Amino acid sequence: MEKGLFKKIVLSLAGLLVGLVIAVYLSAQLNPEAEAAAAFGGKNISVDGVPDDVVQAALKTYVPPGQLDEYYMFASGGHSGNVFVYGVPSMRRIRTIPVFTPESAVGYGWTTESKEMLGEWSWGDVHHPALSETKGDYDGRWLFVNDNANSRAARIDLDSFRTSQILDIPNIYGPHSAVFMTPNSEYFMLGSRFAGPIPYGTYSPIENLSKDYNCVLAAVAIDPNNGEMSVGWEVLMPPWSFDLSDAGKLDSEGWAFLTTYNTEEAYELLEVNASQREMDYVVALNWKMLEQAANEGKYKIVDGVKMIDPLDVPGSVYLVPAMKSPHGVDVTPDGKYFIANGKVAPVATVFSFEKFKECIDNKDFQGEERGFPVVNYEKVRVAEVPVGLGPLHTQFDGNGYAYTTLFIDSTIAKWSLDTFEVVDVTPVHYCPGHLCAAEGDTVSPDGKYLVSLNKLAKDKFLSVGPSHPESAQLIDLTTDKMKILMDVPTDPEPHFAQMIKADKITTWEVFEKDPSQPGAVYEKENARIERDGNNVTVYQMGFRSRYYPDHVEVNEGDHVTWYLTNTDFDEDITHGFGICLYDLNAEAQPGETIKFEFVADKAGVYPFYCTNFCSALHQEMQGWFIVKPKGL
Amino acid sequence: MDFVRKLFKGNLNLIGRIMFGAAGLILLASLFLPWWHLDLVAPQYPEGLSVIVYPDKLDGRIDIINNINHYIGMKWISEEDFPEFQVITKVAYVIIGLALITALVKKRWLAWLTAGLGAVGGMIGVYDLWRWLRDYGTQLDPMAAIKIDPFTPPIIGTNKLANFITYTGFNSGGYLLGLSIILMLLAAWRFKEHEKQKE
Repeated sequence: MEKGLFKKIVLSLAGLLVGLVIAVYLSAQLNPEAEAAAAFGGKNISVDGVPDDVVQAALKTYVPPGQLDEYYMFASGGHSGNVFVYGVPSMRRIRTIPVFTPESAVGYGWTTESKEMLGEWSWGDVHHPALSETKGDYDGRWLFVNDNANSRAARIDLDSFRTSQILDIPNIYGPHSAVFMTPNSEYFMLGSRFAGPIPYGTYSPIENLSKDYNCVLAAVAIDPNNGEMSVGWEVLMPPWSFDLSDAGKLDSEGWAFLTTYNTEEAYELLEVNASQREMDYVVALNWKMLEQAANEGKYKIVDGVKMIDPLDVPGSVYLVPAMKSPHGVDVTPDGKYFIANGKVAPVATVFSFEKFKECIDNKDFQGEERGFPVVNYEKVRVAEVPVGLGPLHTQFDGNGYAYTTLFIDSTIAKWSLDTFEVVDVTPVHYCPGHLCAAEGDTVSPDGKYLVSLNKLAKDKFLSVGPSHPESAQLIDLTTDKMKILMDVPTDPEPHFAQMIKADKITTWEVFEKDPSQPGAVYEKENARIERDGNNVTVYQMGFRSRYYPDHVEVNEGDHVTWYLTNTDFDEDITHGFGICLYDLNAEAQPGETIKFEFVADKAGVYPFYCTNFCSALHQEMQGWFIVKPKGL
Repeated sequence: MDFVRKLFKGNLNLIGRIMFGAAGLILLASLFLPWWHLDLVAPQYPEGLSVIVYPDKLDGRIDIINNINHYIGMKWISEEDFPEFQVITKVAYVIIGLALITALVKKRWLAWLTAGLGAVGGMIGVYDLWRWLRDYGTQLDPMAAIKIDPFTPPIIGTNKLANFITYTGFNSGGYLLGLSIILMLLAAWRFKEHEKQKE
């Protein structure tokens, strides 16, 4: 009996095993992709083992050696203070442009010029890049970004990918609602996130927020010839929190739209207290009217800036009710609609600019707040699109579709601007903030690629400890269904990005010889060290693989002005310059003259050397900075 | 009038005269075109670095070439070092003048003189070029960081030097110059009037 039982058990187990093997084999035969997908999770991946759609996705992002990407994507670097440049579709990061933070890789923050530009601040919070526009289309000349922390704006010249101007914007605490470009780059605008008493340094207790605190919208004028920024005028706004913004275009040109939360005017526990009203606003400003008011002198000067009280310019500001605490506001490529994203309401609300104008013309207002007319919500709103939970931002393709990020759902919804219905949803990984479509902010979006800028990247990349990178995901828009092509880790912390066709940008490679520029030396005979009292000026040349002069002696306490000219007028031949133990570092591009100034306050011998690999004898490109002690 | 007629009564025929006229104009045109070039190509210079020689100046990326050449101790290439540039155009203008006069007066002795001057000038030019190439390639600074064997690039052809391949040859101006000389020689040799037949 016992023997028979044992036999039965063994046989039945063997039968089960054989059955399992056959089942697995058959299921693999019937559904080869499942097996491939299983293999894909394993360690050994060959092209044979990768599902076909994954291979197809990889091929769509593959840029063969020697070929170039189709688009540049400029992503803000948040509190890193940088701008990151990616090539799309490869998603290779091709450059980091330092803007508000010193960057030793390029000596940004040590040279006299960059030090002056950075001023007293050592960090900034880059939020929303905006490319310059002509007739509502990117023209590839400049990129402007805001600093949400220290109320500044910066210009990056796109012929050199360098930050060339930083402008302080008075009277704004945290310009988050920025920057947005008017269709011909007449202005870009910045709106306050935080209410505060102005000008800076004014004291008023927080209980007086409603009375003494203000927000401001600043219009920064752009010189059409060289991109030079200057504050044109500012508008005094209620102490609400202005969040995001977009400029009208085509039909709605001349208007600006800003979302605002905290119309409750709360000043503590904002998470709760600024979320009490069912409706906040999209604030619509007629910037052409305000510009005219500035020209007509309807302003007072606050902290050196023309400050317009919009109540003095009737018809310049209207309030459009929008779902509780809206976040992004985006104008459609045809300029006919503006869309407010709910943040804590599960809808994207579509407003008609035409109906908005009708309401104004017919004085169809549902009330007034702080002296501003509130237009009739029922009349202006054309649709509430149920996109999902946590809609933040919307971008557009060229085929009449809008794409909205859903922070809470961790998805992107594609919906029709015709039927206002959601047609597709794709999950992303995880919590998308902004998104960026190819030329998606222009009057003619390309609709080829979309990048989801995610706040979290849990489990997507090799672990780097408790702080995971953020992630960007490239999405194909050329098929009916959105398809994720690629995941890329990003540095902290991209907010917004703009994507421009690569052929719209023309760069130059080598600085021109300019003997009139201060400190430049192009001939060995002219390289020298000059002394005038305690001031020593070094006129130094660097070329592969030498410095002239290669030793510089000064006295302790001397004020040193050091010019270095890179006389290699040759593409990509950069020379670095770092003085050991002296905390000095810079980089001279081909043909460039750099300048830095310091006090030689440490006696001793300090080697200097070329930090940027330049030639076979790069290691020999060095010299000594000798500081003779006092009293020797 | 008789004197003038006699002056113009040479024994170069019409084709010969046209050829001399053309030779003069071609030579004139060549003065505005590059005569010779040297191209350096290396892995890190796929676009090539070139020296372009005009009859009166150097062009191309000489500064960059100089910077690289210092590693092997080659002399700095500078336009001021070539007194030839002061002379070549002047000589060319003389020959152009002579060629045009020949076309007018038809004298064969003048034709041979002009063609001969052109040919000799051309040969001297080629010799001069070779001399410079040898000079630069062989008189290397003994202190140089990178020691290489002395070299002389060919006037037409390729040469390998460290990671660089040099491609040398004549350019449009150089070919026009050659054509001009050939035209003059050919005209002087072949295209004379057969006086006996005419009489």
